[in-house]
Formats: sequence, structure tokens, C-alpha cells
Amino acid sequence: MPLEIAVASGKGGVGKSTVSSTIAIALSRAGRDVIAVDADADAPNLHLVLGVDRWDREIPHSGARVARVVDDLCTGCGACAQVCPYDAVRVLGDGRYWISPVLCEGCATCGLACPVKGAIVREEVTEGRIRVARTRYGFQLVSAALDPGRPNTGKLVTEEKDLARRMAGEDSVIVLDSAAGIGCQVVSSLAGSHIAVLVTEPTPAGFANMRRAHTLTKHFMMPAAVVINKFDLNPGVTSEIESYARENGMEVLGRIPYDDSVPRSMVMMMPHIEAFPDSEAAKALMGIGNRVVEIARDWKGWWFEHRPRKIEPYKPVIISPRRVKR
Amino acid sequence: MCAMMIAVTGGKGGTGKSTIAVNLAAALAEDEDLLLADLDVEGPSDHVLLGTPLTDEEPINIMLPIVRYQACTRCGICAQVCDTGAIITSGDGLPVIIPRLCSGCRSCYLACPVNAIEEGMRTIGYTYRTKVPLDGDGRSLRLVTGMLREGEEHTPPAVIATRRRAFSERADIYVVDTAAGTSNTVSTAMDGAKLAITVTEPTPLGASDLDMILEVADRMGVEPWIVINRHGIGSDGLIEDVARRRGSRIVSRIPYSREMVDMYIRGRPIVLARPDSEPSVALRELAALIRGSA
Repeated sequence: MPLEIAVASGKGGVGKSTVSSTIAIALSRAGRDVIAVDADADAPNLHLVLGVDRWDREIPHSGARVARVVDDLCTGCGACAQVCPYDAVRVLGDGRYWISPVLCEGCATCGLACPVKGAIVREEVTEGRIRVARTRYGFQLVSAALDPGRPNTGKLVTEEKDLARRMAGEDSVIVLDSAAGIGCQVVSSLAGSHIAVLVTEPTPAGFANMRRAHTLTKHFMMPAAVVINKFDLNPGVTSEIESYARENGMEVLGRIPYDDSVPRSMVMMMPHIEAFPDSEAAKALMGIGNRVVEIARDWKGWWFEHRPRKIEPYKPVIISPRRVKR
Repeated sequence: MCAMMIAVTGGKGGTGKSTIAVNLAAALAEDEDLLLADLDVEGPSDHVLLGTPLTDEEPINIMLPIVRYQACTRCGICAQVCDTGAIITSGDGLPVIIPRLCSGCRSCYLACPVNAIEEGMRTIGYTYRTKVPLDGDGRSLRLVTGMLREGEEHTPPAVIATRRRAFSERADIYVVDTAAGTSNTVSTAMDGAKLAITVTEPTPLGASDLDMILEVADRMGVEPWIVINRHGIGSDGLIEDVARRRGSRIVSRIPYSREMVDMYIRGRPIVLARPDSEPSVALRELAALIRGSA
């Protein structure tokens, strides 16, 4: 079974792509077969960090639906607007109704509420594509691009992962760069992965959102390791993050100093460890990459040692129909 | 004056959306009746940057179907209309609801021919309302925040609930802070805005995501104003190329400053704590441009 490592953070812009690209390159240099997956479909960036400028394969992703009002049949009753859970239905100046394609999630609700048969249709739309390229660092990258304004679907991420798994061999390592946040895309990124790497920065917002991502990894009974980026920005919060990691049995894979050559490597569209290998940040990043190489050699042992001790599954908060206020 | 809504967005994460949202809100709140809505429900941070605890919690409840099995005829229609795979039919044809996957859209409830589905609810997150004192003579700004529960996946309903709470209060200016990305989590937050302050950074990553968010703004008919944050760390030319191609304006360049990072960590808007710093001057100019456009 290929090892799957998901890099997440909760907060955006803390260095997920920088860390993911480093881990992928380090594993590849160590002779492992690597497949990198960019699971941030509505703001994909890993290809830019890895300097990919052409795709070997592009597969359109459809399956999403958008509801549309058929003008000739609409009587203007407004039942659709009342039931739409996404506030996507608008009344136009002439009394007709219109459904915003950038707000509609594609549920069947408006069509079911509409009293006129056929006045609301749901049409399949292409909502993005999955792309594959061989990077100049020897491994392949699977990336997705969601069309702007489409639902932030975990389905696209699941498809990317399925493709990566089909490409992978028994001993491959899949390195998955997840989206910011803790929603659908991130849940799909973590589901089925073996190890989570949580990237954070020592700011109150970075730490708070890392803890939220950590809660998700616990739902999946996944061991999580921590990377503290720009650790020297704020020693106080850095030590709070380290205490938190210790208390929760999370390994701190490394601490990266603030280094103004990092944005310069982005402008060069090169992974930082390739662009400025002698910089302090690159040395810290390589330390993290090499630690992951070690973990990947016997990941089952590491998994067992670092798995969450307590089962903390997701529990929905449910209010029974009797208690719902009418 | 007619109420004006301004969305702060940008595509890429960590470009400074929340920093700019709280600073614009703090600057504008000195003269205007303002409400700030943090619609980044997966990772709200405006309250952290304002150094304020969240207060006045209300649950965000969405519909959860509960099957009355004694009435169910096992026709399977509910599972067919469910768009999120939240209803599976067991071997004997009885529907089973998976709450985590349910988006609360009510399609199953409307489709069931024998009314065997009852409306329960599920709490997917919470909204908060906080009065944030600003410096000076008792002035404050109002903050409404949405927070998705960990493990919940359906973000747009939480964004909508937070919007509704924010817009249920009257204000002259609503500043809305969106999530990163370009999905409908963001477009739902931007809906109805007069202006989209698209915050980016001068790197290829910032430029690429800016291009995508400008496409969203264009489709929604919202005028984008490009703001380059951390001006000086990379190459502004990358952003200028995107702006030229899209026919959008770069209205502000906020210089990278260590002071801004310090204020971010300390939970104080820089426009209040360090009014004479370079970023504060740029942010106040931007606030004045916004006020002038009203």
C-alpha cells in the first residue's frame, strides 16, 4: 500500500506548498517513487512552486449540476426563491426568476418546490479539470483546477487521490498539499491519508487554525506532525505550539526561520531548497524533508507510536424534529 | 447614504485579507456606522486580530432529515434526489441518513411521496456578535463572526447564516471578510458587494490566484480593486500584468513592514496602534478612497 502524507494547516498562506514541495523532493532524492497531489483545487499553486509550465494530460471533471429557470414556463410564483438554501435565486426586474450559477450548489430543492413541471431544469456543467505533469524533479504531479465560483467539492479531491493511487506502486509515497480551511476539500484530503503534516506559524491566528485542523485529524484517527514556519517571528507563540504538540503526542518535524529569500524563490518559480539551498530556511526545510524520509522508511511503526491515544470521532449535533421550533 | 457592502477577498491564503479587513474597518468606523462580518467560517481570525473574545453565540442550524420508518415505503426517491450522497439505502431498501454529508437542502423532504421525512436540525457551527471598542472616545465597531464546527463540510450554509445575522443589523458600511480560494464559499460571501478589495502579494502564486478571483468578481458584477500587500517582497510586475489583462485597477500598495507583523501578533489594528507607520498611511488612503466611492 502506498504511503499517503497530507499537508494541511487550517490557515492559508503559512507555507503548505513550500513544505509539500520540499517533502516530495526529499523523498524523490532518497530514491522513493513520489506522486505529488495539489488538493487545493480553487487556488492551485503547487505547479507554480514546482515550475510546471505544461501538462501532459488534462481530464475534464464534470458531474456537478446547476439549476436553471426555463423562462417560457416560469409563472413567477417565487416558490424556488423561498426554498433555495443558498440564496441563489433572484427575481429580475420583469418578475422572472434567475438562478446565479456562481451561488447554486446544484441540489434539487428548487425544482421540487416549483409547481410547474419542467420550469426548472438541472444541467450538468464542467466544474474543473484534473491535470498531470512530470516535474523536472523526477516525480509526477496531479493537480486540479476548479472553475471559479463552483462548489468547493471534495469529489474533485477524491478523484485526484484515486488517480494518484492508480499511478502509485506498492512502495510509492503520495504527498498531498491540501487547501486552507477545514471544509469539504480538507476533509477529503485527510480521509484515507496515513500521516498529517500540519504547517503553522507562531501567530495567534495561525495556531488557532492549526488546532482546528488537528481536531479533524483526530476524527480520522490519524497521527499528525507539526512544522513551525517563521518560528522566530514570535518565540512566545512558538513555545505554546511546542507545548501543545508535546501534550498531544505530535512530533515537531522542524522549525523554519523567517527568511526573505523565500518569496524570492517563489518569484523564480522554484522550490526554495533548489533556489537557495544554502539559506537558513532551506537548511531547516531539508531537515524536515529528511526526517520525513526516515519516517517513510518504517511509517507503520511511526504511525503506531504517534496515533491519537483517544478515539475522538466526529459527532454531529442533532436536534430532533420534536424540538425544532415551527 | 445608502448602505454599502465591501468584500475583502483575494484568492490566495495568507495574503493579508483579514489584516486589511480589520484595518479598513477600524479606519472607516471612526466616521461611519460600520459592521464587520467575518465570513471566513472555516478559519475566522478577525476577532484574533482585533484582540477580542467572541460573544453572544447563536447556533447555525440547518435542516437534517429524520426518517419516520413506520411511514417509509422504501421507494428510494429520497436517496435519488440527494445530491451529496447523504442518503444510502440499506439492503432492505430503508434509507439511512449520514448527517455529516447532508447539506440540509430539504430535497428529500420535498420529494418524499408519503411525507415520511421529518425536519430535524443539525448544528453546523455558530455565529457571534461582538462590540469591539476602538481607541478614543467610546467609539466601537460591530463584529459578526461565523465559525464552522470542526468536522462539518458544508461551508456555504454557514456563510449564509452569518451573512443573515450581519445584515439583520443596520449599518452604513458593511465590510465582509471572505475565505481564501475562489469557490462558492467565497462567491456566497461576496454576493451583493459594491466593491471587492482583492488583496494579493507580488509573487506568481498571488498573481495566479488573483487572476481567478478577478474572474469570480467579473461573473458576479462586482468591481474589483486590487491591493498589493507586502509590496517590496517580490515583483509587482506580475500583478501589473494580471491587472492589465483583466482591465482592473491596482488601487493600493501596502509596504511590507515588520511592525504590521507585530501588530498582527498582538491583536491590534496597525491603523490605531501605529497611525504614523507606512502601512497605516497606505491603509488610511485606501479607506478614504472607499469612503469617496460611496
